[in-house]
Amino acid sequence: MKNIYIFLYFFCVSIVAENFKPFESTYEPLPSTNTIFRNANIYDGEGNELIDTDLIIKDGKVVAMGVDLPSSADLIEVDASGKWITPGIIDIHSHMGVYPAPSVRTSSDGNEATSPVTAEVWAEHSIWVQDPQYALALKGGVTTFHVLPGSANLIGGRGVTAKNLQRNTINSMKFPDAPHSLKMACGENPKRVYGNRNQMPSTRMGNAAGYRKSWIKAESYLSKLDEYEAKSEEAKELSYKPTRDLELETLAGVLRDEILVHNHCYRADEMATMIEIAKEFNYKITAFHHAVEAYKIADLLAENNICAALWADWWGFKHEAYDMVQANIAIVDQARNGTGCAIVHSDDEIGIQHLNVEAAKALSAGIKAGYDISKARAINWITSNPAKAAGIYDKTGSLKVGKNADVVLWSKNPFSIYALAEKVYIDGAIAFDRSSGLEPSSDFDVGIINPSKNRIEE
Amino acid sequence: MIKNKFLLAFVILSSNSLFLESSNLVIKNAEIYDGIENNSYQGHILINDGVIAKISKTSVPYADKVYDAKGKIITPGFIAPDTQLGILEIGALSVTRDDEASIYSIGFSIHDAFNPNSVLIPWNRANGITSAITLPRNTSSPIGGLGSFFLLDSSLDISSEADILMIGRFGGSGSSSRAETLTLIDDMLSFASSLDKKDMSSDASIDEVIDDSSLASHMDFKPRDVKALYRLINDDLPLIIKTHRASDIIKLIELKNTYNLNLIIMGAQEASLVADKIVENNIPLIVNPINNIPNSFDELASNINMTPILEKAGATLMFNVSRSHNYHLIRQGAGVAVANGMSYGGAIKALTTNVAKTFNLNNRGSIKVGNMADIVVWEADPLEPSSMPEKVFINGVDTDLTTRSTRLRDRYIKDLDKPSIYRK
Repeated sequence: MKNIYIFLYFFCVSIVAENFKPFESTYEPLPSTNTIFRNANIYDGEGNELIDTDLIIKDGKVVAMGVDLPSSADLIEVDASGKWITPGIIDIHSHMGVYPAPSVRTSSDGNEATSPVTAEVWAEHSIWVQDPQYALALKGGVTTFHVLPGSANLIGGRGVTAKNLQRNTINSMKFPDAPHSLKMACGENPKRVYGNRNQMPSTRMGNAAGYRKSWIKAESYLSKLDEYEAKSEEAKELSYKPTRDLELETLAGVLRDEILVHNHCYRADEMATMIEIAKEFNYKITAFHHAVEAYKIADLLAENNICAALWADWWGFKHEAYDMVQANIAIVDQARNGTGCAIVHSDDEIGIQHLNVEAAKALSAGIKAGYDISKARAINWITSNPAKAAGIYDKTGSLKVGKNADVVLWSKNPFSIYALAEKVYIDGAIAFDRSSGLEPSSDFDVGIINPSKNRIEE
Repeated sequence: MIKNKFLLAFVILSSNSLFLESSNLVIKNAEIYDGIENNSYQGHILINDGVIAKISKTSVPYADKVYDAKGKIITPGFIAPDTQLGILEIGALSVTRDDEASIYSIGFSIHDAFNPNSVLIPWNRANGITSAITLPRNTSSPIGGLGSFFLLDSSLDISSEADILMIGRFGGSGSSSRAETLTLIDDMLSFASSLDKKDMSSDASIDEVIDDSSLASHMDFKPRDVKALYRLINDDLPLIIKTHRASDIIKLIELKNTYNLNLIIMGAQEASLVADKIVENNIPLIVNPINNIPNSFDELASNINMTPILEKAGATLMFNVSRSHNYHLIRQGAGVAVANGMSYGGAIKALTTNVAKTFNLNNRGSIKVGNMADIVVWEADPLEPSSMPEKVFINGVDTDLTTRSTRLRDRYIKDLDKPSIYRK
């Protein structure tokens, strides 16, 4: 009798588990704006510069790119002569929604700083979808962003990749089929936060021990899970499924190569330590974030196929950010015969609106350092490279036929401070149009200063 | 280069003076934005003993040294009006910070903490900042703390102007009502207005004044606090108050008019809502043109178009940045302002002349005869952050543009056959 109940219980659980996957993306693009851009200058995100070239986007996808493409009646014609087109910009390090504006205690939801390992929390469950910052980033050409938990913890929780098309639920903003990520953090932040409470970690060696202890637990959980899953259906019915553990599920997801590790880490020596730990437990680090000292180990990063997501020039706010080199991004890019993966990230609500200019500064510093880097290559730092690090490069990040039509039309060369995003398309649908005044505004913006106007309406 | 050396050798041989090497220079063929006119002009600048001696639009004045700036834009050295240069090395390390007081409040001066060897100074200089105003952190008092002006020449023989302004703050604080803050500022200014010269004759007499005032006693004023308040009313000392909300700006304007203050408003994220009043009342603003984030409920009107709107209304503008260390990014902010509609000449003035005028830095901030030669030669458009200075002259001296950052860079891209510790 008892066995029957157990059977029924597992039967029901397995039905629920099979039919309902929580927190799946329900994103739907806006109606397509099928368009032919005429005579555009294009950086395609694959390292190419195409001058006076036409681009067709249709039904959400890049359909054709070339000279004198034939038009058809269903295409809106946009004269792009003298203007520039790039793939939609991707920010691999954003806290929009988890640290929204206004920056107030009640919606500051980025750091679950109550325990050094909180692999069980998901940034998407903190995101405030009415953050007015999404629309500002969109006007800077950002079509996709990756939100991470903060860096107070050794293991901070899962990150999420979203389309920059504000909706009323986070599920409807989530990038379809984008892998989850895991935020980890080295250095001063975790040891400060917990050291101040006389708790481990209070040192960098305490940090390292903390990661390793977690991975040991994760390995053990994973082997139980593997053992259970290897059983036949009959055997499964007669045994207990390992009890779900949200923390270890996330870590096991990393060990199974399903979840991408994004590791906040400034110092070169600590990054090398993290690479050792990753090898010890056989997981992959997708990217080091903030990595102010990446230039000191650029070859090591390239050899291990690890991206570095970097600022162009922010430094000095703490000791581990003291050795700033403006050519950092270029040095990472050029490591091992140009096989390095460099990303310009923002981690900042203003910086995200100007990633093109941040890339321009980094490029200029690289050229001054003696590297021969083209603008067509440097645009990868804010398009295809972050797409790779977010695990969505097969869908976006460059203008290739068949990929999502995430497109920015710039008034001038995007490496100029004077360039403004004129039109921004997400999945082939216009989301921002400077000339017509089409722009999103969140509920927060409505009537908040003057009841009959939106926040920044003039 | 060879030509210059030859010229120099010629001059040394033919001259009686031994001091000509750095004292007499002409920058020729420059496209000059002088910080005064909106448009640039072609000209040659003669510098004698660190001072701009002559600006010629026609013939090149004779000088011992010649620097040919053909095809290059030159501007006055930029002046950053809101920095912690020289008093902060690493933000999160309090032992490297000298921006806070524990005993003094209103009269706290950071002047003597200035470290000309800070690594921030060559870094900002190499990015075109030749001088700066360094401010303390806000004290517990809503107004108080004195800022000083420094030349960024990295000399231990510090060139500065001490205690040229006071700072303050007003707005939502989360601890007490802004109405109380306003009352407190009002009471402090009223106390300051009641002081006369006789009161200030000695610390002993100031102590008596403090004893007689319940406010001064309650706030535990020290004589140097009282002296600073006295200067605010009697010496027209500039008072920079950081505030954002439109209604708060109006309240400060009322205080300015009651006490005849030399008021400057910083932050001012809602200034575009009260632009006319700001202009009518002649209040210079220090704003960050790139900051369009409604970061608090005081800053809801924050808007990328604010700076151009304020310029059109006729406001005097200066620029700051939101974060420490890279104060040179005021030129990126200026570029963003121009991209969104500000005039180019207006943006250059905001980085130069407007700061000098507002803070009475009488011989700096513009390229004109008689001013100190703080001049930057730019490799391209100075408002493009990717363009860097080719030369930075401070007091006419061609300064070193090496930074710790460029040294570290070179260590990891040159002489790679050696272990990094034995590289330069």
